[in-house]
Amino acid sequence: MVDTPLPLEVRNLKKRFGSNEVLKGLSLQAHQGDVITLIGASGSGKSTFLRCMNLLEQPNEGELIVHGETIRFKETRHGREPADWQQVVNMRAKLSMVFQNFNLWAHMTLLENVIEAPVHVLKKPRKEAIEHGRALLDRVGLLERADYYPMQMSGGQQQRGAIARALAMDPEVMLFDEPTSALDPELVGDVLKVMRDLAKEGRTMIVVTHEMAFAKDVSSQVMYLHQGMVEEAGPPAEVLGNPRSERLKQFLAPKH
Amino acid sequence: MIDLQGYGPRLLEGALVTIELALLSLVVAIFLGLLTASAKMSRSWLLHKIGTLYTTVIRGVPDLVLMLLLFFGGQIGINMVTDWLYDRFGIDIFININEFVAGVITIGLIFGAYMGETFRGAFLAVDSGQIEAGRAYGMSEALMFRRIRFPQMMRHALPGLSNNWMVLLKTTALVSIIGLTDMVRVAAEASKATHEPFTFLIPVAVIYLLIASVSEWIFARLQKRYNVGFGEADEWNN
Repeated sequence: MVDTPLPLEVRNLKKRFGSNEVLKGLSLQAHQGDVITLIGASGSGKSTFLRCMNLLEQPNEGELIVHGETIRFKETRHGREPADWQQVVNMRAKLSMVFQNFNLWAHMTLLENVIEAPVHVLKKPRKEAIEHGRALLDRVGLLERADYYPMQMSGGQQQRGAIARALAMDPEVMLFDEPTSALDPELVGDVLKVMRDLAKEGRTMIVVTHEMAFAKDVSSQVMYLHQGMVEEAGPPAEVLGNPRSERLKQFLAPKH
Repeated sequence: MIDLQGYGPRLLEGALVTIELALLSLVVAIFLGLLTASAKMSRSWLLHKIGTLYTTVIRGVPDLVLMLLLFFGGQIGINMVTDWLYDRFGIDIFININEFVAGVITIGLIFGAYMGETFRGAFLAVDSGQIEAGRAYGMSEALMFRRIRFPQMMRHALPGLSNNWMVLLKTTALVSIIGLTDMVRVAAEASKATHEPFTFLIPVAVIYLLIASVSEWIFARLQKRYNVGFGEADEWNN
């Protein structure tokens, strides 16, 4: 058997904001096709953990290994920083992120958003990128919106467009940062459906979410974070079906 | 028709000088403005201080004083250097500050400071999520500047930019003081010679007004262009 490197591995990651340690040594291994959901109350550090994975936040300690390549860091007077920004840029191109607030580029049409990074970062021929982009928009049900600007679309459409933008990178891993939290309830379903399809086709995904049904049905692993530490982790049937800690039981209990 | 008493062609030449001077100064000012804005937003303490010093000095000293200082002071400075080169190495060069170049540099320097403030505010007004998306998709800082920061900053900068340009245009009238023959100087000379100031100053005022009107039209077009994607959603929903 050929030993293929893991798409993403995080070892003992720590993050401090000032003197406040928000991540206290978190590790994670994503195998090809894994869907790992991170759950926890707000302030548990789950979004910060996700944002450390593509270095939108700089971790103070810990290792980050993307497809077998360890990201190198150096100490500067501003703190710990990546030693080689080109390496970071290459790494980010392999991990594409879907944001809570979509963050589609407002001055570009939907199709322009989707082809932007493939053309300018991956240096893909424009024609090819457009073809691929249109196919992806078709897939998320937005082909007829290709020439619309983000502001002309509903939140759900923007988020599906943002997923198409992420897919256009042919990423190793997709990072989702509370992708449905900013949506009106009736728009959540369409976005979750697209994500379920992605999971089914074997995409490697790391998802920060409050959607417990999604976590239960789709994920291969659930991590419950509390105050920057993993309180429970494992297959969803175990963690969500049979929680051990009192805190997780409380967290999962139906809210009144 | 007004009888320009043969001064017509010279007045037009002067108008051309005014336009060239204003446009070139604008280019210098925009370039310096972008540099200053970057310096003031940078993490480097030194760059930040340099940027602040520049804008403070320029904004605190009258334009006319700066222009005289740069033109005469600059010439004296250059003479000192060339004299020293001659004494020391026997290199004999003579550099005469050209009025036009001096004008462009001075006006560019003055308005670079104002542009710097305009650009800084505009850059800070860009939604941080837009930048973060660029980062997350592997864009380098340079690419992000070209594709996201700059186009999104422009809609915030254009009102200030347009304002600065109008003031810059009128500031070019000061260069007649250092001996550059722009249209104000031509008009002043002609008025003196003919004792008919209105005959020459009214056309000059009209030309300024004309340039200003064309500029307003261009800025309105630019504003529209950079607002695409940001206006009221109703504007394009069909």
